[in-house]
Amino acid sequence: MSSSASAPIEPPSVDPMYPGAPPDLPPAEARSAAGPKNRRTLAIAAPAAGYLILFLVVPVVTLLAYSVLTAGFFTVSGPLTLDNYKQALESDLTWQLGRNSLIVGGLTAAISVLIAVPVAYWLRYHAGRWQLAVMFLVAVSMFASYLVRIYAWRTILGTNGVLNTALIDLGLIDHPSSLFIFNQAAIVIALVHISVPYVVLVMFAAFRPIEPRYLEAARDLGGGTVQRWRRVVLPLIAGPAISSFIFIFVLASADYVTPQFLGGPGDAMLGVNIAAEFTASGNWAMGAALSGIMLAAYALCFAVAAIGLRLAGLSKIRWTT
Amino acid sequence: MSARAGRTGLAGGLFTALVLVFLLVPLGIVALFSLHSSPSLTFPFEGFSTRWYSEVFGNEAFREALFNSLELALATAAFTFVFGTAAAYGVTRSGSRLAGAGVAIFLLPITLPLLFVGIALLIALRRVDIELSLLTILIGHTIIAFPFFFMIARVALERLDPMLEEAAADLGASPWTAFRKVTLPQVFPVLLGAAALAFMVSLDEFVVTFFVSGNETTLPLFIFSRLRTTLNPSINVVSTLLMTITLVLFVFAFVMGIRAERRRARRAASLLDAVQ
Repeated sequence: MSSSASAPIEPPSVDPMYPGAPPDLPPAEARSAAGPKNRRTLAIAAPAAGYLILFLVVPVVTLLAYSVLTAGFFTVSGPLTLDNYKQALESDLTWQLGRNSLIVGGLTAAISVLIAVPVAYWLRYHAGRWQLAVMFLVAVSMFASYLVRIYAWRTILGTNGVLNTALIDLGLIDHPSSLFIFNQAAIVIALVHISVPYVVLVMFAAFRPIEPRYLEAARDLGGGTVQRWRRVVLPLIAGPAISSFIFIFVLASADYVTPQFLGGPGDAMLGVNIAAEFTASGNWAMGAALSGIMLAAYALCFAVAAIGLRLAGLSKIRWTT
Repeated sequence: MSARAGRTGLAGGLFTALVLVFLLVPLGIVALFSLHSSPSLTFPFEGFSTRWYSEVFGNEAFREALFNSLELALATAAFTFVFGTAAAYGVTRSGSRLAGAGVAIFLLPITLPLLFVGIALLIALRRVDIELSLLTILIGHTIIAFPFFFMIARVALERLDPMLEEAAADLGASPWTAFRKVTLPQVFPVLLGAAALAFMVSLDEFVVTFFVSGNETTLPLFIFSRLRTTLNPSINVVSTLLMTITLVLFVFAFVMGIRAERRRARRAASLLDAVQ
């Protein structure tokens, strides 16, 4: 088996295609030595790095630069100013949208992790011969198109949707209810639907190095279920669970499409406004400032989580695989 | 297994089954209503018909979107294959400390919300007066698909048996020959699977495409425009088409991965036997 009790736990890396791969690898130290080493070989990676720097890093820096320039219509110009930030932070709308983003992102992330952990646990320790098949179905659902899912939930939750007609047929309600759609719950349901498969695969990878005999040992030593989870399982999976939480939080809170189709008038999120500033409204400087605020908020989340985990003495978050 | 573990297993299995229902049934409903004989999108199901398929395939805008999407997905897969394989090989085979920085850059696109990738790319392209076109969509798709390909390629290359490449070098093969004749054949099925994944990512991409598409259209953009105007089973048809292509490619990638994994396990076992 690939790891020993003293080895640091695996990062939440998962091979999205082959999560069920048998863990028959030699230890990581031996593996990383694969192939003859040659410093110059890194030059082969240069074109790809150049591509991402040119089309991703430079554009993001440009975006941040625009946030401190003066707004025009679909353009920006000098002089440097902090007015965009001031205006954005003084606006009630920003705070309302920010609160919506925070609620939707937080709920989506929390629910996704709470759903995914038991599924991953069952897959790792109890699934037996079902493991590969269930893993396959989870991964298949991961690759369904984002818009298709939003559309699916719209047809299910809509006023004349599948859910309403089913409830009427069952005699549970008399008329179609409009309570299921155009609210935050509908947005969260669709985003959970998108997020759960990722988290299941990440958490499965987190459980993989924890061999059943560790849990048996804990039981043999007299640990009850609660104690086993608190002292053995949770410390080992806290890192991947928290990094999945943050990953999903970022993904969900920056969404700009789902609120447009499943949310009500008061449920817009920051991303919706940012997208509008870059398309219909044409106020690039304001859109850039709102983006800067969001990115700063995300950086703060990362920092708080990383420090929190370290203080708690748990494995530190690993952002890369 | 104790009775208690059996109960946990049963409860976990039931919960997992419910989660699978939650994940898959909505997608199944979308596919089912693509065959509905009436414009209604709700039960009772009034019968099967392919009329919405005829309607969609007869639509000029749809055909253009389909061809654009397939072209983009193919180009994204090809681009990502070349760039991604080179990047993964460079990072895994150099002992350089810079390799860590390289990995950070290569994974950057998945750590950043796609909204920001989209708007940043938009303003940068406008800054240098590049017209929005299929090419700018391709640039965006390659950025997004890259990390997925890179992660898989990197794991595949790291798991290779180092002795084979060393043997090739000892026998006088140039690095390029060794790569082409020894390294590549071993990882090719996995790389092909990863390229299929890049194809899928491109085919389904909406968030970034929305900002950099200009007047061009793709299948997700086609769905988006219909979502705002006409809600009828024609959207289900396009969705079902997307899901079907994705499913076929995913099965292909999955099978490729499993096969490579089994072969590797067998080889590891036979090497172990030889040593003992």
